[in-house]
Amino acid sequence: MSAAALSPSFKTAFDANSQVFSLAGVIRPRSIDEIADSITMLKHAIDDVRGVLYLDVKRLIQMNNTAFHAFVRVALDACRARSDLRVVIVTSSVVGWTTRMFGHLNEIEPQITVEVYDSTFYPGQSFLEDTSFIPILRTQTKMTWRHERSILQRHGLRPGIAMADVCCGIGDFAVLVQKEFQPARIVALDHSKASLAYAREVAANFGITDIEYTYGDASEMLLEDNQFDFVSCRHSLQIFNERELLLKELYRICKPGGRVYITNEKNSHCLGEPRAQSIQWTYNEVAKLFSHFDMDVELGPKSRRYLAEAGFDDILVESFMVTNLDGDPQDFADVITAWENVYAGEMAVRRGDPPEFIERFRQGFRDHIFAALHPKGYAGWPIWVASGRKPT
Amino acid sequence: MIVANNGPAEAAFEPLLQLEMEMGTFISEWQHCDHLSSYLARIISHNRTDPVRHSNFFSSALNELLEVSFRSGASSGQVVLAIFRHGPVEQIKITFPCAAEQIPFYREAVSKVDRSDARARYLDSISTDMAPSRDSILLDLAINFDASIRFEEGPSPAVTLVVDLPLEGLVS
Ligand SMILES: C[S@@+](CC[C@H](N)C(=O)[O-])C[C@H]1O[C@@H](n2cnc3c(N)ncnc32)[C@H](O)[C@@H]1O
Repeated sequence: MSAAALSPSFKTAFDANSQVFSLAGVIRPRSIDEIADSITMLKHAIDDVRGVLYLDVKRLIQMNNTAFHAFVRVALDACRARSDLRVVIVTSSVVGWTTRMFGHLNEIEPQITVEVYDSTFYPGQSFLEDTSFIPILRTQTKMTWRHERSILQRHGLRPGIAMADVCCGIGDFAVLVQKEFQPARIVALDHSKASLAYAREVAANFGITDIEYTYGDASEMLLEDNQFDFVSCRHSLQIFNERELLLKELYRICKPGGRVYITNEKNSHCLGEPRAQSIQWTYNEVAKLFSHFDMDVELGPKSRRYLAEAGFDDILVESFMVTNLDGDPQDFADVITAWENVYAGEMAVRRGDPPEFIERFRQGFRDHIFAALHPKGYAGWPIWVASGRKPT
Repeated sequence: MIVANNGPAEAAFEPLLQLEMEMGTFISEWQHCDHLSSYLARIISHNRTDPVRHSNFFSSALNELLEVSFRSGASSGQVVLAIFRHGPVEQIKITFPCAAEQIPFYREAVSKVDRSDARARYLDSISTDMAPSRDSILLDLAINFDASIRFEEGPSPAVTLVVDLPLEGLVS
């Protein structure tokens, strides 16, 4: 069974299979009567539940004391009446007050516990929120910007607009966009506190004060609907296991008529000369390694399908190749070194690969570096850029 | 409704905005509490370290204060809201008309926030009350938002609540 009660600002739903009752949106009633249906629904849900009821408040953006007391009352009464019942309240680390408010309940009633869901949600999270990723992101953005700065206008970026950069990493892209395109508003969101701290420092050093860096979960953003003319999400759709959920969020915060812009890789198409075969072998393995962790670094050419299925129209797709000839070949080499460290040094080890495999895996990266630095060599890293318009 | 940039200055607290509204207009629509708190929170949070989350936190606290004013029972006079900043702290100063015999209850509620049994009383209120009392709303602000709260009595029958919210530190 699944049921939902709707009001303009909030939503309650119960999924009997997973025993999850969720409260989402803004719940600020004047009196309990206004939420009577939802309260009744919660009571019925509890009657249905055996064992654990999950009360999911991770998308709860606002709740006043009137509603808090009313919902909590139901949970407390149920626990008092049924010693077999456990209630797990699932909060998010992003909405700080929910964890604080609901956190008290365990002191009142030990059958109620609180779990902060997003600390262990994504398979690739531990690699990607690690600070060792910071130098890679920095140089990567410098190299991709040479291409993207002229591409972005075709995808709708222009002065004076409101934009969001979702999964902004260390925020370089937001700084570059701010300088080049002067949007009226930039919100830059990421789930790595270390990257955001770094981003704020970089912006401050450039004297940039008007980028709104915010800690958040891209699949559960606090940002309101229909707010941005341009929503970018770079190199990140490919690392999410729940891609549809992320696209839905990007769609939601985009204004009708606005565009969502995504960039992704197809790692198996990284190339180099000389030593092409060794390089190709390694990047094929990179793709397999990521898919072991539920990430798809082959996503680039699938962007068109993802955008279409998410409901966008007027979809534009193009690709460009970052090469060792773009700027300083050493930058290219540095990025590959960083990839080698994380992919071979951390991820392959975590997967439990034998030393012989890891050695061969590393060799392809070294050969890619060799090609990049060779006076007659050529090394490339292809990127797919795609954007779609949210229908009006 | 008047939105002005220069509210009455207070030692070290820099005024961010002030808003005055006829009580009759304010209480004509419950949604005003939600709309005003969301809107004002976004304005004052834009230059905080994490504007989106600061605004979400601030809106929660401000909404409760607006709801308390809304429920004061007065239908004439003015509700005056001023927001100040000092370092990591925002101060909300809200004045609303209220019947003279009600005033001691507000004073009492504020004085109880500082007592050592505040936490116990807050938990007790969650665990037993059907609807939140004035007391438990102020306790919520003190306990969940680390607010410190002061009471001032107005010249005409009115109540002023001065609430310091150190949200910048809480959010980031
Ligand atoms: C491959 S990096 C891309 C960063 C940046 N867009 C760039 O191009 O340099 C992926 C980013 O996604 C962030 N991320 C991962 N899961 C996230 C989530 N659930 N919500 C927000 N950001 C997330 C990581 O912290 C990381 O900064």
